[in-house]
Amino acid sequence: MTIHKKLMQLSAASLAVITGFALTPTKAVAEDVEVLLFSMPFTRALAELEADFEAKTGLTAKIDVIGQDVFENRITLSFTGKTGDLDVVHAPVIQLQRWVKAGWLRPITAETAAMATKDDILAGPLDSFVVNGEQWGLPFLAGTGMMAYRTDLLSEAGFDEPPATWEEMLTVAAAVKEKGTPALAMRVAPGQGFNMFVYPQIMRAYGGKFFADYPTDLTPSMNTPEGLQGLEVYSKLMNDYGPEGIGNFNFGEVTAAMQSGQVAMIIDESGLIAQTLDPEKSQFADKISIAAVPSGPAGRSPAIAVHGLGIPADAPNAEASFKFIEWATSEETLTKIAISAGFADFTRASVADNSDVTERFKSIHPDFLSLRVQMLNDAIGHYRPLIPQWPQIGQAVGENINAAVNGIMSNQEALEAADEEIANILAE
Amino acid sequence: MQDYVGVQPVFQRNYNRMLLPAVIAVGIFAVLPLAGMVALSLTDFHLINGWDKEFGLKNFIRLWNDRRFMSSLNVMMLLSVFGVIFQVLLGLLIAVGLEKIVPKWRFMRGIFVVPFVVPAVAVALIWLSLFTPTLSPINAFFDLFGITVPAILTTQYGAVAAIVIADTWASYPFVMLLILAALQGISGDLDEAASIDGATKMQIFFRITLPLLKPALLMVALFRFIETLKHFPLIFIMTNGGPGRTTQATNYYAYIQTFQSSNVSYGAAIAVFLFLFAAVISFYVARANMRISDA
Amino acid sequence: MPKARTGPKQIIGVTMMLAFVGFTLLPIIWALILSFRPTTHLFEPIWESPTFLTLDNFNTLARSDFPIALFNSLVTAGSSTVLAMIIGVPAGFALAKGRSHRKFIASWALLLLRMAPPVGFVIPLFLIYLNIGLLDTWAGLIAAYMVLTLPLVVWSSWTSLAQIPDELIEASLLDGATLFQTLIKVVLPAARPGIVATAVLAFLIAWNDFFFALIITRSSTVTAPVSVMNFVSYASVDWGSIALASVVLTLPTVPVIIFANKYIVQSMGGAVKG
Repeated sequence: MTIHKKLMQLSAASLAVITGFALTPTKAVAEDVEVLLFSMPFTRALAELEADFEAKTGLTAKIDVIGQDVFENRITLSFTGKTGDLDVVHAPVIQLQRWVKAGWLRPITAETAAMATKDDILAGPLDSFVVNGEQWGLPFLAGTGMMAYRTDLLSEAGFDEPPATWEEMLTVAAAVKEKGTPALAMRVAPGQGFNMFVYPQIMRAYGGKFFADYPTDLTPSMNTPEGLQGLEVYSKLMNDYGPEGIGNFNFGEVTAAMQSGQVAMIIDESGLIAQTLDPEKSQFADKISIAAVPSGPAGRSPAIAVHGLGIPADAPNAEASFKFIEWATSEETLTKIAISAGFADFTRASVADNSDVTERFKSIHPDFLSLRVQMLNDAIGHYRPLIPQWPQIGQAVGENINAAVNGIMSNQEALEAADEEIANILAE
Repeated sequence: MQDYVGVQPVFQRNYNRMLLPAVIAVGIFAVLPLAGMVALSLTDFHLINGWDKEFGLKNFIRLWNDRRFMSSLNVMMLLSVFGVIFQVLLGLLIAVGLEKIVPKWRFMRGIFVVPFVVPAVAVALIWLSLFTPTLSPINAFFDLFGITVPAILTTQYGAVAAIVIADTWASYPFVMLLILAALQGISGDLDEAASIDGATKMQIFFRITLPLLKPALLMVALFRFIETLKHFPLIFIMTNGGPGRTTQATNYYAYIQTFQSSNVSYGAAIAVFLFLFAAVISFYVARANMRISDA
Repeated sequence: MPKARTGPKQIIGVTMMLAFVGFTLLPIIWALILSFRPTTHLFEPIWESPTFLTLDNFNTLARSDFPIALFNSLVTAGSSTVLAMIIGVPAGFALAKGRSHRKFIASWALLLLRMAPPVGFVIPLFLIYLNIGLLDTWAGLIAAYMVLTLPLVVWSSWTSLAQIPDELIEASLLDGATLFQTLIKVVLPAARPGIVATAVLAFLIAWNDFFFALIITRSSTVTAPVSVMNFVSYASVDWGSIALASVVLTLPTVPVIIFANKYIVQSMGGAVKG
């Protein structure tokens, strides 16, 4: 009989737990501002400064930093369901058009105009949050494309300078690979923020484009001789000179490959490039230097990614929300994080002028900040087209490009399929 | 089979009373959302464009013409068929091995059960790390001998194989446990009689044990088959549906349509299709099970 | 039984079994190694720097939301198991011993519920929860897990209680006990292995869940499997923490299964033998 007694006791205890806990509202102590961000060095550092915000404004904040995959599901559902449980959200510019079209965000045009320090915010990133004449968010991160390379491995292969064009890249990569180290790693994993973050750098350098004439003529035009040439170069670089398994690489693998000395060159986002120069995280930091993204017959087109903070349409207290955004994107906060986390993608001119910040980045690499500005200047705002359907298009195109690199389709077939699918998505 | 146990009709009423809470609970927790799924699939709910509540079958007509859906069925069948074959084979080999080859090593059974309790998310992450060439000890080990292990996740069938391997690792213990249970139900007398008659161990296994295990094997295979139709974390974490779209199985495709393409209703239609498919298969499982328990 | 011989066949057999042990354990050992590796040496073969081990990942894990998520998982998986047992075992008993012409339908329905694709359940569930305020609550998640646990519990207790001899029940009823008393005092103790196995399996299935929690939890009730994904961040995939989190996620269930596996084998016997 003991077993049944035990079972009964267990059941009774558990029942008590259920009724006692499960039915009590889990949000007993709601904070003034609930913030949802996805995990990146900046957002993690920001979460640690929660107390600063309280000291400054007297408001309390709960900053949740979650994985990007989980974030995308959660935010979509929160928006759709108008759950009203969020006051501030992480807003990547690349999602902005879609979110605005769906009516998920609240404009902050007036509040922004009233800001005393508005002109200190870098114009490009700030303007990228303007849709239909309204301001929908303030930027905290402007990342751009950059190259990191191993000086020792390149000179071993007979090159003292990093490749300046993609043509040169093919030559250098062949020579480096010849010496036994995989030459170049870039993101190949399918996704609008994965391979579609880096691939357009090659596509645009060769004169390829997404649309016939963005934004006036949105006829899909990836399948052109120029576009094909770009994809061929990308496929060749990855397959012939990339590390084993490159076909599934994402930013994590790319950065790690450089940090652990498994590859001679990477081209990725500036903030991640900075991580490979950090001796604490990178075993070969002292042998790594940086360079511009290679150019091509049609010029140079470094990647650009702008992230900021916005207010959900259903946020209950927009005033408090804006206070948080103002604080999080302020000179003081950005400077702190630039210094503490080596955060390179800041969005205010005054931060770059701060002597502590310049010191910090000098120790990382003397040219880092100037190269970053140069790349940001070269980048075009619609590097990835700024249309509401982009997230879906980017996903579809990314899958086809990934299939081409991995040899599941030919390059030509992939571009044909991409054009066809873009047309279908736009027609929906 | 007996009708019911108990002497008076009053007990039958009590039996029904015991059944009632479960029926109600199933109604609330399962049937309600299922009805919602069907309702969604018949309307047009798009995350961005809003809700068009006009009823119709257009999502199902669209299914028919959707190449990606058709290829997702193909992927699903590859994952399920090969997954089940390997799981059943491995589960059977290990169960028989435990009983016949190393019957004294009782502790081994505990070892073989361990993968069973590793949550799917952890299974996916562990195997992803093993299949990432720059990280994997397998690649590092073969590198010592100058052998480059090819990256498995970047080829179409390689990625399918990777998921099958991870799934096999995580699921063979279930098969093994079920077969162990069935083996213990088989009397040893038959074996002994056969071996006295001069049959070899192999002959005994193929002629006597295996036929007796057939119903159990069929059951467990069908069980696993339907479970594999629900693959999500393995694909989500290990391949993201790639390379290209070669591992976007149907369940995962429904997820993509719902969350990435915002076509909630179309995603629901795919789910309804999967549900009907599972209904057909579970019909056969239920029938097989009834036969076994009636026997 | 045939005598154990050490012929070549026996050697092949033992080798095969050892190979299977390797296949089973190596990924787990690998996860353990990863959990103790510092980030800077993750990508080096372990034999090149076997002494580079660290407890840093424990700190990372302790400082993250993972411990809370683990607690959420325990509460929700545990509660839904208990609830499903309370509701499901009597139902299983009724199906095993009561008279019904709908047993086939019942078994089909149960199987079907176990097999229905979660992706179909979860959007309606989200919309329902949104309207009744169950989103991001333990109660909501527990209810969602009932979709997983209840059919399993009914099915599994049905098969194991069917093995209880009818005479036992009849004797108890003749002694004047009610049917419910009979279930509690006579049937359950006699069917102990099956009941334990049922509870263990139900707990595992809820503990394992990723998809439901991904959709219907927010920050306050996020479960451990979803929380693990937070270590996959932009900038780096924190393999050390991921591996450690995976190990931690598995640990609570290992003793359970080692203790309960003989019960599971016994109770599964009910499902497969005549």
